[in-house]
Amino acid sequence: MEREIEMRTRTSASVAAVAGVLALPLALTACSAFGVGDDDEGGAVTLTFQSLAYQDTTIAATQDIVDAWNEANPDVQVELVQGSWDNVHDQLVTQFQGGTAPDVIHDESADIMGFAEQGYLADLEPYLSEDTKSAVSEDIWGTVTASDGAIVAAPTLLQSYVVFANTDAFADAGVEIPTGASLTWDDFQALASQLGGDGGFGVGWGLQQPTATVMNLSLGFDGTYFDGDQITVGENELAVPERIHAMAYEDASLDPVSLTQSGSDVLPGFFDGKYAMYVAGNYIAQQITESAPEGFNWAVLPPLAGTAGATQAANPQTMSVAAESEHVEESAAFIDFFMQAEHQAALAQGDWLIPSSTPARELVAEQTAGENGWDAILASGEGLSAAPFQSVVNYPQWKDQYATPALQQYFANEITLEELQTQLTDGWNELG
Amino acid sequence: MTRRNPLTRPLQYLALLAYMCFLAFPLIFLLTTAFKTDREIRSPEPSFLPESLNLDNFTAAIERADLFRAAGNSLLTAVTTTVIVTAVSLPAAYALVRFRTRLRMVATGWILLSQVFPFILIIIPLFLLLKNIGLVNTLLGLVLVYAVWALPFALWMLQGYVAAIPVELEEASAVDGAGRFKTLRRIVLPLLAPGLVATSLFTFINSWNEFFFALVLIQEPDMQTLPLALARFVGAEGQVQLGPLAAAALLACLPSLVFFMLIQKRLTAGLLSGAVKG
Amino acid sequence: MTALAAPAPTRAPKRRRSTEGRDAWLLVLPALLPVMLFSVYPLVYGVMLGFTDAEAGLNAETHFNGIDNYTALAGNELFWNSFKIGLIWAFAVTALQFLASLGLALLLNLDLRLRWLARTLALIPWAMPPVIIAIMWQLMLNPNYGPVNRTLETLGLPSAINWLGESAIALPVVIIVGVWAGMPQTTITLLAGLQSVPAELNEAAAIDGASTWRRFWHVTLPALRPIITAITTLDLIWNFNSFALVFVLTAGGPGGTTMLPSLFAYNEAFRYGNFGYAAAMGNVMVVLIGAFLFVYLRAQMRRR
Repeated sequence: MEREIEMRTRTSASVAAVAGVLALPLALTACSAFGVGDDDEGGAVTLTFQSLAYQDTTIAATQDIVDAWNEANPDVQVELVQGSWDNVHDQLVTQFQGGTAPDVIHDESADIMGFAEQGYLADLEPYLSEDTKSAVSEDIWGTVTASDGAIVAAPTLLQSYVVFANTDAFADAGVEIPTGASLTWDDFQALASQLGGDGGFGVGWGLQQPTATVMNLSLGFDGTYFDGDQITVGENELAVPERIHAMAYEDASLDPVSLTQSGSDVLPGFFDGKYAMYVAGNYIAQQITESAPEGFNWAVLPPLAGTAGATQAANPQTMSVAAESEHVEESAAFIDFFMQAEHQAALAQGDWLIPSSTPARELVAEQTAGENGWDAILASGEGLSAAPFQSVVNYPQWKDQYATPALQQYFANEITLEELQTQLTDGWNELG
Repeated sequence: MTRRNPLTRPLQYLALLAYMCFLAFPLIFLLTTAFKTDREIRSPEPSFLPESLNLDNFTAAIERADLFRAAGNSLLTAVTTTVIVTAVSLPAAYALVRFRTRLRMVATGWILLSQVFPFILIIIPLFLLLKNIGLVNTLLGLVLVYAVWALPFALWMLQGYVAAIPVELEEASAVDGAGRFKTLRRIVLPLLAPGLVATSLFTFINSWNEFFFALVLIQEPDMQTLPLALARFVGAEGQVQLGPLAAAALLACLPSLVFFMLIQKRLTAGLLSGAVKG
Repeated sequence: MTALAAPAPTRAPKRRRSTEGRDAWLLVLPALLPVMLFSVYPLVYGVMLGFTDAEAGLNAETHFNGIDNYTALAGNELFWNSFKIGLIWAFAVTALQFLASLGLALLLNLDLRLRWLARTLALIPWAMPPVIIAIMWQLMLNPNYGPVNRTLETLGLPSAINWLGESAIALPVVIIVGVWAGMPQTTITLLAGLQSVPAELNEAAAIDGASTWRRFWHVTLPALRPIITAITTLDLIWNFNSFALVFVLTAGGPGGTTMLPSLFAYNEAFRYGNFGYAAAMGNVMVVLIGAFLFVYLRAQMRRR
């Protein structure tokens, strides 16, 4: 019984202590700490702009543009909010549904066309300036035009898939670094075989999320997948997966483990010399410059070309305005400002991406003088064109539920090419 | 006392050791990683211990202002939820045990039911409801949701503790002329102290750890809680910074661990005995 | 502890019957109001949503569509596949968790050295948010730098395994992480239960010459049965509905092999915007799990 009483008093003491600790922050924080009721605005319009920039360089470039705008437009202030590519889709679904979407929305073409069909994105056609409109090719405008003809976004930066090469590994193997306007898949495969062996591989390719890569590169073989709402998975569409599979499982020039990993998981293997080549989006160049070990020499190879040339699908990053925004016009004006060549060029260099605007692309060529692989990166941008999959409303769901699992299984050598074909086709028809 | 195999003890220790490895290894790994430099982490010949107690990862983690703010948001949310839940569940648990009304059956049913329902059913209407009263994207909204969904379990736990208090004590007090609420304060409350500690601990940890509601209800980066911020830290495209991530993860465990240590003894002894009896 | 464990009669004081009801309401009301608003209402709404075609879209109209969602679900192979994964996950985690925790609880109930350390360690996973547990295991299982592969490498075993990336092994690996994450509650509950098994029972059996194993099987286990039923039931429900751990660990991949039904329904609602259909999935999950629990609990009651 004595022990019990002692326990009790000690407990009361600790309860008191805990209660004290608990009460303190409560007393210190006002209601605003809970995020309630801080809605007051002055006379100026405030736009929220959710940016997905994630590399330090691009975040800084974005901030600079916003600061420049805010200085020039005291009546329309832009507030920068940081989003993330990982959950942007889920987040936008929730925000649109809850009416809490930001005014200016950064995303990518393949992700937003569904939102456009649901009526969540404003038509920017009446608001964008002629300069902006003429800076971007018709083809690229096609990737952000909804079925009713509304332009639901301004296309900003484009990515292409490029082959990075460890030039020392090439030298050690006595293999010459290819030059020229493009690199055919056959040559790429041959190179990979020459460079592999000895515990190393010719290529490391992080294809954990394979669908976008496969869809984009397939255009080089005229693999378009969609025609309206119909899917076709034929020889052209399967050429890219088949070749990747062959490199991994037939001539062992591509590390099959890397296929199950993310691009950033594979990158260190490229640095360590485990892989002589590394395939990834061109934006990875930024990470290579930032984190490669000292003395690491690299280059960007000419763009991969299939039977239809060095063509890849253009899936531009986009800037849209929420249809429910109270300030569509002001938001569009900001996007127009954002699209100016100097701004796009700065962003492009931050992310090592390709501006969809021609003047901005020229500016980048001039500013970088083609150094650090920029000539090859910009060259790969010439082959970017609109692909049908971007404007298909159910594409994101098909990608998640059918295409990605099927491709993952195929790249893990668990299903055959025929099974891949069936799964891709049946999956689409399932979604109806 | 009976025949005992001489091997029994060593085997028991061996088993205990195996358990300790399984439970502790991930944590020790996290701890060592948090102190390693990036080069050490990625080196082809790793050493188990870091070369030095390098705090760069911690400063890198803390410098990310969003993590710091997220920790503040989490603390505020968890503490407020705990206070509300404790304050509300105490009288309710007492009433449910001591008064035999139909309420008790209904409440027990609800407590069980609330555990079965998948959150996906609740989240959509809850989101719409909070949106209508302007509490989406606010910590207050989150607190309300956490409090309501922590209540059933808190009630369940507390009921067990209330039931363990002999009614005779209260009756004696009543005979002495004390009113019900005076009895409550003088007799019941002190006896319930361990139960309250356990319940508040449970509530605090659950709110601190919660992810799903926050994922849907909080979209503003300024308002995100620690689990959200960390999940995004990992997901952040490009190269994952393993060291700072490990450091941040470690820091995020601290409040719960400290809380645990404060009442560790009582925890093992008292915590679930209440729940079990309930 | 002993004070708490003492059985107490819970009869009501025999006085003031008339005021009793009012007092009860008064005390329960602060809990009742928010519960009604923030859980009963959304729940009823959510169940009803499962019978509508609610979907994302500006000014999209919602209509009741009877059982359309359920006929569609019946033919949705992906959902049933996910449901199957959910069952495998929930049962495997619950069973393994139970066995592992029972073993640990038995050890902790012995008078062993270092018991305090093991106790503390056993609690730690509980102090960690599931998100962190997921992050930590991601680091552990990283194919290149993770200590798991590196240990295998040192032992000369195959070490290029992408634990979370290969569809054949991802689910078992995720299950092990789930066991790790959920051991504390189960262990403590079982330990509390063990400690309340009257020592006399065991002593009496020992005097009768029963072996340790027989004593465990015939004395300890039956005494623990109510607690075992309670904790396995709760674990099963919690595991079946769990979200955060797997969401961060694999997000349902690779190839959908770890797509728990809660993740599946989440995607349906918050990725594809089919709110009504997602709620219907929730309803199906409740009904099937509820039915299972009913059968299980009734069987357990009968055995008592």
